[in-house]
Amino acid sequence: MDKVLETDGLGKRYGSRWVLRDCTVSLPAGSVASLVGPNGAGKSTLLHLAVGLLRPDAGSVRALGAAPYSNTAVLSGLGFVAQDTPLYRDFTADELVRMGGKLNRRWDSTLARTRLAQLGIPPRKPVGRLSGGQRAQVALALALAKRPRLLLLDEPVASLDPLARREFLQSLMGSVAESGATVLLSSHILADLERSCDFVIVLQGGRARLAAPVDDIVAGHRQLIGPRHLGEPIGGVAAVVRASHTDRQSTLTVRTAGAVRDPMWTVREPTLEEIILAYLAERDAEASHEAWGVSA
Amino acid sequence: MIWLTWRQHRRQLLVTVAALAALFAVLLPTGLAMRSAVSRLGLEACAGATPPPGCGMRADQFLNDYGAMALVAVLLVVLPPLVGVFWGAPLIAREVEQGTHRMIWTQGVSRRRWALVKLGLIGAAVTALATAYGLGVAWWYAPLSGADADQARFARLFFDIQGVAPVGHTLFAVALGVACGALLPRVVPAMAATLAAFIGVRLAVTFLARPRFMDPKVETTSVYGGKLGWNAGGGDWVLAKEVRQADGTVVTGGMVRCPPPGAGERCGAETELGLRPGAYNYELLQPADRFWAFQWIETGLFVALAALLIWWTVRRLRRVA
Repeated sequence: MDKVLETDGLGKRYGSRWVLRDCTVSLPAGSVASLVGPNGAGKSTLLHLAVGLLRPDAGSVRALGAAPYSNTAVLSGLGFVAQDTPLYRDFTADELVRMGGKLNRRWDSTLARTRLAQLGIPPRKPVGRLSGGQRAQVALALALAKRPRLLLLDEPVASLDPLARREFLQSLMGSVAESGATVLLSSHILADLERSCDFVIVLQGGRARLAAPVDDIVAGHRQLIGPRHLGEPIGGVAAVVRASHTDRQSTLTVRTAGAVRDPMWTVREPTLEEIILAYLAERDAEASHEAWGVSA
Repeated sequence: MIWLTWRQHRRQLLVTVAALAALFAVLLPTGLAMRSAVSRLGLEACAGATPPPGCGMRADQFLNDYGAMALVAVLLVVLPPLVGVFWGAPLIAREVEQGTHRMIWTQGVSRRRWALVKLGLIGAAVTALATAYGLGVAWWYAPLSGADADQARFARLFFDIQGVAPVGHTLFAVALGVACGALLPRVVPAMAATLAAFIGVRLAVTFLARPRFMDPKVETTSVYGGKLGWNAGGGDWVLAKEVRQADGTVVTGGMVRCPPPGAGERCGAETELGLRPGAYNYELLQPADRFWAFQWIETGLFVALAALLIWWTVRRLRRVA
């Protein structure tokens, strides 16, 4: 399948701290992908690398077949809505649409205007005076009017209330279904994404823990409940993602390699959210006892 | 891009034009008043090689009325750095501070083109405004320049507010602001850095570089007789004034004028300072006719510095994120 976004061993560091390292992801065309991870996991960094705002310090990134940092021609095929949906706050929505027309060779002004009209956005009011949800809609309309082949959104709903959040995602999915664009959407709120996406990338501590279609993820993971597990191999298990133990019992979230037939274990099919949480919980933030000057 | 530049900077432009108009609203009537005073007092005749008697008194009268204008003129040196602080510094710093660089640099226009179009248009606007300002002030200042050697247009401070030098200063201030904004992408720190760096560079150029733009000329006059008074020096930029003995040893700073020997009067300074025959006044100066050469050198220097800063900024911009 055609890959619209490919990274290979991608890394980015600020000073000596790697915010993203060894990230290898490949996103097939037409997918709606969500990029999940806690704050500071490197989600924004990955998106900024994908749109050429940042230069990779290691590895490579290709968006629409070209390295976006050194090849600004790629920009015309990319739609990007940055975190907190930045817009010139003294511009009106109408002026922003006009601006987009001046700055992009391919620009569907009708699409943007129709969208904003349907959403009831006032055209002649500075966008700084619109609500957060309306502003996010204006930013999305600007990104969609480029008719992008790859649309990247960085936590577009983080600042919205639950109702506005749902409306935003609905209208996003509606227009994506029409245009057939590939979408990569980052969020630290899992519930928003689960409903709508068919591909998931999990970032944790600057590394990609998981990057696969949702169906494969759900089919390839099982939750096993059984007696206290001490690390011995289990038939049909490729890797243990997360293990939690009580005195007598262990609950394991595992990546499978075939069916688990061992009668010792009760096998459960976990939800996507449970699998993602298992990956995120696997390595929590390192304790900082030393920095705080207390004993562990 | 042109529309965007206009839309984003039109308010700045209107404010600057309005400020310039307000300035001219003051300069025009006072300039005309000074000119009519010059002709009323007959000061034009005093500029000649052999000024008629009474010129000193009439010049004093003119300075009594209008000398304070020179103080107004001094205030004008702050205008170029203000333009740098308010036009230059926010150009990149505000985009980054508000996060809008992520929106604008991911449209279909590369950052390089974004920067070059914006800087080109702003540079052109600033050049036009600064030229109008510099030539307007030069016209306004001309009568004051002729009335007092210490306030001649070639002197420090007065040189800086007129002619084409303000164009160089203003372009440099804007480029410096833009560069500071690329280096410190926060509006207020970038503004502060712009102001500090501008003052530093301007002082260095004014006091260290400008006196050496061309080799200064040495002029010596006998302490007996010699010209002093109205339009003394004829607008030269005097770098040093000393009284020297015939063998060249420096007696004191400043100038001494004694009546010609044999006139019957005794010269107080002669005995106080122990001047021996042959003592002379020594002046190190840049002659008045070099004014425009110096203006162009100063402007060229600052435009070159501005170009260097812009080149650096456009390169640096690729790493701003």
